[in-house]
Amino acid sequence: MKVTVDQGKCVGSGQCVLAADDVFDQRDEDGIVTLLDADPPAGRLTDVRHAALVCPASAIIVEE
Amino acid sequence: MSVAAERLQLPFARPNVLDLAPLYEVLRREAPITPVTTPAGDPAWLVTRFEEVRDLLSDKRLGRSHPEPERASRITTAAVQDGPTGNYETEEADHARMRRLLTPAFSAKRMRMLSDYMQQLVDGYVDQLLVEYADATDGVVDLHTGLAFPLPVAVICRLLGVPESDTVYFHSLSERMASLGTGDDAHQAREEFNRYMIGLVETKRPDLGEDVISDLIRAQSADETFDYGEMVRLCVGLLFAGHETTVNRIGLGALFLLTHRDQWEALTADPVGRVNATVEEIMRLGAPGDLGLLRYAHTDLDVAGATIRRGDAVILSINAANRDASVYSDAETFDPDRPERTHLGFGHGSHFCIGASLARTELRVVFTTLARRLPGLRLAKELDELEVRPTLTGGVTSLPVTW
Repeated sequence: MKVTVDQGKCVGSGQCVLAADDVFDQRDEDGIVTLLDADPPAGRLTDVRHAALVCPASAIIVEE
Repeated sequence: MSVAAERLQLPFARPNVLDLAPLYEVLRREAPITPVTTPAGDPAWLVTRFEEVRDLLSDKRLGRSHPEPERASRITTAAVQDGPTGNYETEEADHARMRRLLTPAFSAKRMRMLSDYMQQLVDGYVDQLLVEYADATDGVVDLHTGLAFPLPVAVICRLLGVPESDTVYFHSLSERMASLGTGDDAHQAREEFNRYMIGLVETKRPDLGEDVISDLIRAQSADETFDYGEMVRLCVGLLFAGHETTVNRIGLGALFLLTHRDQWEALTADPVGRVNATVEEIMRLGAPGDLGLLRYAHTDLDVAGATIRRGDAVILSINAANRDASVYSDAETFDPDRPERTHLGFGHGSHFCIGASLARTELRVVFTTLARRLPGLRLAKELDELEVRPTLTGGVTSLPVTW
């Protein structure tokens, strides 16, 4: 799976970190999303998809 | 039932603190964007369907300010979400600065770091409830005053750097600000809250610490475009929202679980495994207050067959959207195992609740601990006997329980 994030869209809600903290993190200085793993294992698909769904800024794209 | 030809009057009476007026279901189906009269007597649009509520929450054509504030529809006589806020010209820049300043302090990571502290607090409250229970001749204790209220208050005081000894005072101001139908008193309470906050800010200024209000004082003194009054308003908003909302949500969550015995028992059997889904369902279905999130149109826009004019008030009913049967199967049922995992309980878009991670962490600690330590918990009164607070944020005044 391929994950991309749009830091320009991100509003720093941290929803993705709650959903999958092995894939997403927030920058300490402003809370904006950073990607820890752009190619997570297939077993993480449910949580990563959930992160994309709950993102209030639609800033996460998941390609299977 | 069909939708009346004349404007509907808000609020719609609800059967109890957990259920919504049946009219919302009719509106979602037949008139998802409908003209209403606000409790203050002014015209507004009420939006009830998930899709439009979510889209409008992230639509930059609406805002919290009004191009001509003195002509804006008023929503209630409370002093929160009652009318336009902020400056029409600078709203977007002001909001961006506010998010930039506050987001790090409320990040998911910081909140997770607080969870041990929250756990200690909750364990202390449960210890105290056990003592009270042993002393109570009727075996009944109040989960509201014993847990739902003190936890969010203690946590927000620590985060913001507000003395906990001021709790009684700022809580009474918050209640008055959110009160409906008390005339001018809500706005007097906001004035008093502002004065209290100015006093606190100036007391803290010579000796700033590692807390959110100290951060805001530093930022305001370093930025000439950051207005002092705006900073005070923000601090008041954080202290108000940081406790009112979560207090109510803990109460609503306990009520959902204790009136759905099977769900409570499932949680007690596997607290850690089930708590996240349970908390999300509490966020979806819990419906505090009878209105919604307020926006004003900054330009004309067409939505779902309605033409909203520049300056019109738009009330986005989160409560109704979260029960939309076109999005959720068995939408009115409390079911943490449902396949749909998203909801609008924290809003959506650029105004998404900045305290969402804080609230989630608190709710998770509360419900895991209750399930583990008080598995026999049950309500000591019928749902209909519980008093609902006549405020914008709703919730119950007490939560008598036993075990």
